[in-house]
Amino acid sequence: MDADVTLVIVVGTALAFDFTNGFHDTANVVATSISTRAMAPRIAIAYAALLNFAGAFISLEVAATVADDVVEASAITPTVVFAGLIGAIAWNLATWYYGLPSSSSHALLGGVVGSTLAAVGTSAVLADGVFGKILIPAVVAPIVAFVVGALAIVCAYRIVGRLRPGSVNRGYRLGQVASGGMLALAHGTNDAQKTMGVITLALVANGTLGADEGVPFWVVVSAASAIALGTYSGGWRIIRTMGTRIIKMDAAQGFSAQGAGAAVILASSHFGFPLSTTQVISGGVMGAGAGKRVSAVRWGVAGNIVAAWLLTFPAAAAVGAATYGVTRIFGTGAVGPVIVATVALGLVALAFARRARQGAPVPVG
Amino acid sequence: MSALFATIVDTKALAETVAAALVAGVGITIVFSLAILGASLFGEARRDGRGGAAVAAAGLALVALGACGAAIVVGIVVMISK
Repeated sequence: MDADVTLVIVVGTALAFDFTNGFHDTANVVATSISTRAMAPRIAIAYAALLNFAGAFISLEVAATVADDVVEASAITPTVVFAGLIGAIAWNLATWYYGLPSSSSHALLGGVVGSTLAAVGTSAVLADGVFGKILIPAVVAPIVAFVVGALAIVCAYRIVGRLRPGSVNRGYRLGQVASGGMLALAHGTNDAQKTMGVITLALVANGTLGADEGVPFWVVVSAASAIALGTYSGGWRIIRTMGTRIIKMDAAQGFSAQGAGAAVILASSHFGFPLSTTQVISGGVMGAGAGKRVSAVRWGVAGNIVAAWLLTFPAAAAVGAATYGVTRIFGTGAVGPVIVATVALGLVALAFARRARQGAPVPVG
Repeated sequence: MSALFATIVDTKALAETVAAALVAGVGITIVFSLAILGASLFGEARRDGRGGAAVAAAGLALVALGACGAAIVVGIVVMISK
């Protein structure tokens, strides 16, 4: 009975993480489209939500190895997964609160590594995986995207620089509908898979599902729905940072950042070196700004974003470890997860209420 | 140090990713910009009554748009085949 209650809480927490993932990463897909007026804000968000939903069904390659590359699979228990998810949700909400784009995947892996460290110790953490799958890609992604975004906008200005701005802007805005759609599809495929993997892992650990069985259809539908709902809710604060606070972008820059971002993400997926969507798009936006004029980038804002990237893994790991510790105070049953989940829900409600009181979201137009 | 790096990171995949990202990322922007250039030149040539130039500009725009469409299809295939 206790195990089933814990499983229900883990599934609920995984779907809550999936919601924050969509909510947090909406900006990756829609911020440039909104700021260049390629699409109206609500339409851009509905479009991204729909394609995120569709993206979750495109590839059903099981993502049950979400955490296997960074921790020993035998160390993973439903409580470890639960604590890791709380760490990831906490970091996603903290960065949303301050309007900073950061990687939800790194937060999830950080949370799981932290809870595993607290549960088993360093022997269960795979250092090669942490470096190879998280830390090195975290350095590579923004640099590659920055360079690609900068080169792309330089080439674009050389080609269309002498044309009338009106028709050029209309053209790039149309292009952004396609590039934004590709980003949303890629995001749905990548990120909804992680939640499906986490839920499947918990079902297998609980004995509800055989180790060799595929992802149940209800898991696919619920993960796709959670990320789409999160995306539709729209993380306006991060949209504002990505869309207007890093650079004031024109349509060509918006297309270069988005098109280059989509190409970089798909190229990295194809060659088996997956990069963070958030870091690629943010790097692309900075590159598209610097390619026009280095001083066009607000480097203070960019510095805050890079600081958030550096802190993502250790901060989520710290919260994951602390959550596991608190959960175990109440024993190995379901009482710990129930209490922690209740407190977490209360804190989330408090954060939303505070932010709601503090003012309007991004100005829309 | 480099041997240690190579054992931790799949350097071949990393190099391929960087090269493909550069080609695809910059390439898609160049190709789409050429489509805009073609469409814009087509409008001007048609207004000025320069038939040959209009056909050439329309050809450029259509070929570039076709390449963009092909890139989208390749992107979806990459997603499906993961």
